[in-house]
Amino acid sequence: MTPYFITFLVMIGIFMVGCFAAKLPVGVAMMLAALGGALEAGCGTDTLRFMVEGEFGYVDTIMTIACAMIFMKVIEDSGALDALSSLIIEKFHRFPAVLLILIMLIIMFPGMITGSSTAAVLSAGSIMTPVLTLMGLDAVTAGSIIAMGALLGMIAPPVNTAALIICAGIDVPYVGFEGPMALLTFPLAILFVLMLGYKQARHLDYEKLKPALVQQDAIRKQYGFRIYLPLLLLLALMIFFKVFKVTTDIGMPLMFLISALSGMFTGKKINILEAVPAAIRTAAPVMGILMGVGMFIEVMTVTGVRGLVVISCLRLPHALWLLAAAISIPLFGAVSSYGACSVLGVPFAMIFASILGGDTVVVLAAISLIASLGDMMPPTALAGLFAAQVTGVKQYTLILKRCIIPMAILLAYACFILSNSKMVAGLF
Amino acid sequence: MVQSKKKIYSAIAILIVTAIIATLAGMNFHAKRDFKEDIVAGKGVTSTFQLSQYNPNLAGTVGDVTVYVLKGEKEGGSMLVLGGTHPNEPAGHMAAILLEENAKVDAGTIYVITNANNSGFTHNDALEGVPQYIHFTTSSGDTRTFSYGSRATNPIDQWPDPDIYTHSSGQTLSGSETRNLNRCYPGIADGTISERVTYAITTMIQTLDIDMEIDLHESSPEYAVNNATVAHERAMSIASEGVLNLQLDGIQMSLEPSPANLHGLSHRELGDFTDTYALLMETGNPSQGRLRGRTNENLVLTGEDPCYAVAYKLGLLYVDYSAGDLPIQLRVGRHLMGITEYINAFNDNSDKKISVSGIPTYDQMVSSNVGDWLL
Repeated sequence: MTPYFITFLVMIGIFMVGCFAAKLPVGVAMMLAALGGALEAGCGTDTLRFMVEGEFGYVDTIMTIACAMIFMKVIEDSGALDALSSLIIEKFHRFPAVLLILIMLIIMFPGMITGSSTAAVLSAGSIMTPVLTLMGLDAVTAGSIIAMGALLGMIAPPVNTAALIICAGIDVPYVGFEGPMALLTFPLAILFVLMLGYKQARHLDYEKLKPALVQQDAIRKQYGFRIYLPLLLLLALMIFFKVFKVTTDIGMPLMFLISALSGMFTGKKINILEAVPAAIRTAAPVMGILMGVGMFIEVMTVTGVRGLVVISCLRLPHALWLLAAAISIPLFGAVSSYGACSVLGVPFAMIFASILGGDTVVVLAAISLIASLGDMMPPTALAGLFAAQVTGVKQYTLILKRCIIPMAILLAYACFILSNSKMVAGLF
Repeated sequence: MVQSKKKIYSAIAILIVTAIIATLAGMNFHAKRDFKEDIVAGKGVTSTFQLSQYNPNLAGTVGDVTVYVLKGEKEGGSMLVLGGTHPNEPAGHMAAILLEENAKVDAGTIYVITNANNSGFTHNDALEGVPQYIHFTTSSGDTRTFSYGSRATNPIDQWPDPDIYTHSSGQTLSGSETRNLNRCYPGIADGTISERVTYAITTMIQTLDIDMEIDLHESSPEYAVNNATVAHERAMSIASEGVLNLQLDGIQMSLEPSPANLHGLSHRELGDFTDTYALLMETGNPSQGRLRGRTNENLVLTGEDPCYAVAYKLGLLYVDYSAGDLPIQLRVGRHLMGITEYINAFNDNSDKKISVSGIPTYDQMVSSNVGDWLL
């Protein structure tokens, strides 16, 4: 396996130099690392195919992000965000703890029905940002709540894409996951939002806040109920297609675009020719990262580096498998959390469910929770990156630092559930 | 002004490079999609028909594949062999091809579908880095080329995937499984392309009253159901006898009952929705596993992989990997020998008989190359 190790070093070396020395965008550094790895391994003319094929691994996610950003830009420019935050504060300001928990559930909701933390941050996360700010939370704290809520949302029932990827890998039907996934996520969600936000939010004084809400209140008065229509339409579409499954799912990208289109007529005037390019410019770095990630994983696979990584984890003594899963799955998430589920989640699920005799459903749910941490691992750190973007935090690493303790708690809790899966399964 | 001009020039340069890359890659993917496999009708093939005969909604689509009929002069039992349900499992595909190119039926009828999920042969899975084609040299020195495809239907033919795939039984699976042919039985006449294909196969078995069906697969060496036959409960006596005979032949084969609560699979739904004896065979294929090292045509054909060698020493595999390889002739030989033994077991358990000659034996396969048996 020495050749695989050399390729691994070449890929990591090029990535580090590109990212940190040459200060290239992460996506470009990943592309160059993939290119270097493929050429070093002798992929020859197939290199081009592998690079383009890899890009397509995340095409659905890229479409969702692009369309979500357009939606966000429209509801921001139309005034809907301002109006909604003013309304929520007015109605719930007396109970800051309840309000925080409610906000956390709202942040989680898009993740719960799409299985994507990115969708959660970009839709509900950005809608809740002004509310959190008005409650007195600083931007880093607000971003941290949004990021952790998004992670838990992507794992909470009913749709957990990470678990679905592992299910497909080991031929397990997606049945009976609701209970374990709820147990894994909702207690943590309540804990984290209070842990991160209550200290700053408990002194919420609505009377003092009122002067700051003049502009928002004016928008509410001017446009009335119709200002909220794009948000309600998005919610209705999600429930219609994803919860009740009334007909064939039209997909999140189209839902975002339809809702964005409605936003053109419900509030302040929007210049679509400016709004759409601005939205795509904002999303471009992340879309670039995902394309780079796709190329990187494809080249890792074809050159044998993926096998080397997996086998290196499995080679550890049996007693260290839990530690190996707890470290390697989130770390691989630095490339992609979904990729970590496919590359490492599947073999570890087989080990914990088959060889170590755990309960399959609980094992998969716990591993998916571990994998969710990948969305907070730099340099991709999609949840942290987008949370920083929607809250206006310049360095997303500030959010990652604030989230270290919640992430450690999450990891410990997931490991406990993973190692006691039989006992936990007995609860359901 | 100079800055702005620079930006424009660099944007144009990036666009040109992107267009060149997109064109070259597009030509490659287009050639893969349009590739026609080199499948020859054997001397034992008495007729062929298109699968759309059993579901007109398939006509003119990529799923309208050819069914090879090997009919004996004497009446007898009937059997359907499915290859290419998962186009990234080449031993199943090649075993079906070798069967129709070599077998001669004297009594009864054998139907062979070599490319059950033909759409899956037209693309490869993103992020998997697999080869697009595999090649074999025939005894006459010709090279025959076959497609190495994806486990699932091409998204060009069926897209987008739902977040969660709800099977007609109400069972929920990962959304991508909606393009997995072996999760779509018994099928829907006007459903997705995958459901239309499975509906046609189900209807064909019902209409032709086919007695036995064998679906040929491969699985990752670390997957528990390996070197195994999965049988519907009505097919258990045939499967038990066949497995016993295979073991007496020196071929390790386990017998697994078809799980009653796992829907959409051929051995479950064809057994439930038709009168056929539904069987499925698995053999270990390192090129589709998640532990594999360098992925290329050599891995597909030889099964030699250093990562799997380590995994075997760690006791993580469900196949005998002591030789450090699993060549395709061995994997195809297992399938062909399985077909022979299940026909023998069927004959022992039924008034109707299937009499067939010319199917390469396991020993013949492991001592030769797949290409030696291709026309």
